[in-house]
Amino acid sequence: MSEQPQHTRVMLVDDTPARAAMLEQALTDCGFQVICRMASAQGLMKQVAEHQPDVVIVDIESPDRDMLEHMTVLNQHLPKPVIMFAEQGDSNTIDRAIRAGVSAYVVDGLNPERVRSIVDVAVARFREFQALRNELQQTRTRLADRQVIDKAKALLIQHRQMDEDEAYHAMRKLAMDRSQKLVDVANDIVSVLGLLAPKSQRTRDQ
Amino acid sequence: MKTDLTLGYMPLTDSLPLLAAAQLGFFRDQGLDVTLQEEVSWANIRDKVIVGQFDGAHMLAPMVMASTLGLGGLNKPLIAPYSLNLGGNGMTLSASLYRELESTTRGRPGPASLKQLIEQRKLEKQPPLVLAVVFPYSSHNLLLRYWLASAGIDPDRDVTTVVLPPSQMVDHLRLGHIHGFFAGEPWNAVATADGIGCCVATGRDIWQNAPNKVLGVTEDWARANPDTLDALLRALYRAGAWLDGNRAQAVSLLAEYLPVDRRALAPALLGHTGYRPDSGDAPEPDLLVFHRYLANFPWVSHGYWFLNQMARWGWLPGDQDLSAVAAACYRPDLYRRALADTPLPGQDWKGEGIHAGPWRLETSQGEIGMGADTFIDGEEWQLRSMNFLHQSAP
Repeated sequence: MSEQPQHTRVMLVDDTPARAAMLEQALTDCGFQVICRMASAQGLMKQVAEHQPDVVIVDIESPDRDMLEHMTVLNQHLPKPVIMFAEQGDSNTIDRAIRAGVSAYVVDGLNPERVRSIVDVAVARFREFQALRNELQQTRTRLADRQVIDKAKALLIQHRQMDEDEAYHAMRKLAMDRSQKLVDVANDIVSVLGLLAPKSQRTRDQ
Repeated sequence: MKTDLTLGYMPLTDSLPLLAAAQLGFFRDQGLDVTLQEEVSWANIRDKVIVGQFDGAHMLAPMVMASTLGLGGLNKPLIAPYSLNLGGNGMTLSASLYRELESTTRGRPGPASLKQLIEQRKLEKQPPLVLAVVFPYSSHNLLLRYWLASAGIDPDRDVTTVVLPPSQMVDHLRLGHIHGFFAGEPWNAVATADGIGCCVATGRDIWQNAPNKVLGVTEDWARANPDTLDALLRALYRAGAWLDGNRAQAVSLLAEYLPVDRRALAPALLGHTGYRPDSGDAPEPDLLVFHRYLANFPWVSHGYWFLNQMARWGWLPGDQDLSAVAAACYRPDLYRRALADTPLPGQDWKGEGIHAGPWRLETSQGEIGMGADTFIDGEEWQLRSMNFLHQSAP
């Protein structure tokens, strides 16, 4: 198996540099040759003609996918082999790839096992990257949640003459009674009491 | 019955039936809870429908046949049980190229003047003109090729065709990467409003009331979810009727989804080609049709015409029974089932290119008005010439 794998040539099209770098590293570690990394498919046709890749891996959210599709039609008139989506028969691989956000265009005739392992690497890296992004998002959300809860607490203390503990427990009870999340209750309180605040301010000013 | 649905769409004027059905509660009235998901490429739309991430989508009509025949990147039998619109696309050339054509033509520049220019450029050893379309298997590409070929321009040899996402057409035209494009609205109007391009032909100039987008689902999904499909078609039908009757509101509704200048959203919807250099003030109410003329009926003859053109350009492998493929993809039987209480024609096929003006069609609910359907070259597609063995619904 040592003679053929080194020569599987991969082209990456991904406008997320961090992910493209991760993917390139992973593919290189697996013994694939990443011959070209592009942020967009602009000039892709020229690049494909020049580098003659065996596989093109594309971020599914790239609008340039339609250009690759066009090449499959065009290639009927060119000497280059037809480029197509992964291994047509292997719907499981295709399904996983699409759900993970990656799509692969493969030169016809490339060993199916080889294709699958490239796609597997890409899918794993795309998932990993997505997980990182989600985690960051969650951290941000948690922080935002806490700010809303604190603000609601402060409003309760101000308007209902509660102390901090009472305010917190009142919110918890309301959340349980309404089977809502604490942050949703806090949002309601902020929107209601937040409206009252400037008004009462105005009354006092007059 | 499955009621939670995800439908994909490309942000274009003719995605309005989906947007309106969601915004105006027509899906909900049918008991459907629909999530709309905007997509960035037609290939994504197709792939996500095929793997089941989408239940259905706003789709290019020829894509349904291409996927069924195994011509695309990912393939599975797809069907078109419902037509979303007629017209709504057009061809824009760069303003400088248009002016060049104008200077050599008496009257409105057309394919013949472009042919002249192309021959001139060949003599001067200039590279071929580059024209962009949105997807190889699209009514856009097939209409563009028809238009070129009508003047003897070979679309494979005399010009270079590239594929670009609709939203990038105007930028590429501005940067001079392409000389023209064929795309759905609002992009022709945007290029004109920006002063970058001139619309040389609307889809209508090539084939009046040409079919364009359909609701695309997999054959498997349609078989597994008949009640859901019926509900979906009824919601879309109501949206189509609303859109044809409330064009001004449609502009506002679309503006919430499409981040372009409202002035560019209006022409196709309000029926004035203010953007066509020589159109004057004459209204063109049929630039984009959502409902009237039985626009939502999936005529098998429409599918047949697309297949015939795909065969013409050598895209179909081997010998295909075009009428059988058309009847497998275009599914008026499903339309008839869902919309039994609406006007239904007696046949699933009609002659194309044979009505030069308005005409009347006998339906289950009396005669209704139909639109013209002629082609730029006067080609007629009589029913007898279409070899429609599968004319009766299965």
